[in-house]
Amino acid sequence: MAAASVQIADAIAEARPRVIAALAAQLRDLDMAEDAFAEAAETYISKGVAADRPAAWLFITAKRKALDAMRKQAAQERAVSDAAQVSEMSNVIQLPEAIPDERLRLIFICCHPAIALEARTALALKVICGVPVSEIARVFVCNEPAMFQRITRAKTKIYKAGIAFELPPRTAWAERLDAVLLTLELAYTVAYQDAADERDGELAGEVSRLANMLAELLPKEPEVLGLAALIALARSREAARVDEAGAMVPLSQQDCSLWDGALIEHARLLLDQAHAFSRTGPYQVMAAIQLCHARRRTDGTTDWAAILKFYDALMVMRPGAVVALNRAVALSQAESPAAGLAALEELPKEKLQSLRSYHVARADMMIRLGRDEEAKVSLNAALKLDPRSAERRYLEQRLARIE
Amino acid sequence: MQYMLLITEDENIYKGDDGGKLMEETVGKHMALIADMEKAGVYGGGNRLQPGATATTIKYKAGEDTLHDGPYAETHEELGGYYIVEANDLDTAIEWARKIPVPGNGGIEVRPVWQE
Repeated sequence: MAAASVQIADAIAEARPRVIAALAAQLRDLDMAEDAFAEAAETYISKGVAADRPAAWLFITAKRKALDAMRKQAAQERAVSDAAQVSEMSNVIQLPEAIPDERLRLIFICCHPAIALEARTALALKVICGVPVSEIARVFVCNEPAMFQRITRAKTKIYKAGIAFELPPRTAWAERLDAVLLTLELAYTVAYQDAADERDGELAGEVSRLANMLAELLPKEPEVLGLAALIALARSREAARVDEAGAMVPLSQQDCSLWDGALIEHARLLLDQAHAFSRTGPYQVMAAIQLCHARRRTDGTTDWAAILKFYDALMVMRPGAVVALNRAVALSQAESPAAGLAALEELPKEKLQSLRSYHVARADMMIRLGRDEEAKVSLNAALKLDPRSAERRYLEQRLARIE
Repeated sequence: MQYMLLITEDENIYKGDDGGKLMEETVGKHMALIADMEKAGVYGGGNRLQPGATATTIKYKAGEDTLHDGPYAETHEELGGYYIVEANDLDTAIEWARKIPVPGNGGIEVRPVWQE
């Protein structure tokens, strides 16, 4: 029974993006699409329908429910335009399994650059993946009513500002796609950090589902493939990121036999596919860096010289404090800890002071240089920056080892 | 749908030696844009406003109203004019908004007009 209900829940989750997207595109109303889908899913669960194509069943049922709701509303308002729409829709409903693939349209709507970045992320997770608002709020460290309001505001903006339920013209894709990729990147960064702490990769799994979906829909956009590869590589290490005691394990010390070889292979194929277009970009470079790390699983080595070159490239494409910091770490491995430290000390401190990764990187280099006292200072500085429990345990362990 | 495109820009850019010439160029671009909008059948009107220094603002606070010399918000950029365009969706309105000449710092606010 429990296994069967898990199966049903999986089938619903699997069907959701395609069904919701088709409903939203036809109804031109996200709330109505979500409500109708929820109702259909409820019927699916309670009646224990053994449909062999759950997506088709859910789509048709949800559409009927939406249609009923619209009819009732149309009768109430005697709105002629609504009635016309309803009769047009009833024709479509006769078709046996017409689920047009509108997922891309829905992604472009939810991730429209006219919507605030954090709201886009929340909206995409809520509407496309069906992640409960309480869960999204927890991960984004925000209370549930505030998160609910953020999502509602984004939906209102879509209707009132007239964000189209159409696929944008090809000429507008560059800007729009950037917004989509940034949305997914933010969603993943947040979900991934959360997964380390809670040892619950559910949300990270949903975001990676979205990234893979986008790669499937846009197989000729190398940066889309790059982001999907990057996320797959991060996910491949999920089982190795936290030890038995609940402490974070840094990449260099992870037991790579725990890494997921299938996900690494999946990422490698995505990157190969991307490179065929000879149009590089930051996501492909970031994925290439992670793929270098993944190689440790096959031959036990890490090519730091190659990683350093990739960071040099990334500094040109997407310069920033975090990239510069990671470049210094790569340099400390490719050349020497002294060289890494020198590069680190050259960076502007104001931005880096608030990053735990800066203090941890500095501590690493200090330890390798035998400067334990300075390493302690850095580790303590990192601990003061309010790390989550898994990272806190790790930092405390390191500090204890020096003392 | 109708959208109002509100132009906020730095007035000072039109002052000084080259200011007059820049103003002339900018006005020319506005005229060309209006012609394009009319040709596309989307132009719903628009106006250029006198400088912010000519503005008078009635401010309300706790039920009292007082008159102030100057625009509502004291910033470096001022509301300088607006367009009304007819567009099917936000992206189309943004496309038109991007064609508005703004030679200095500033911005264009794209707002749907309230419709019942």
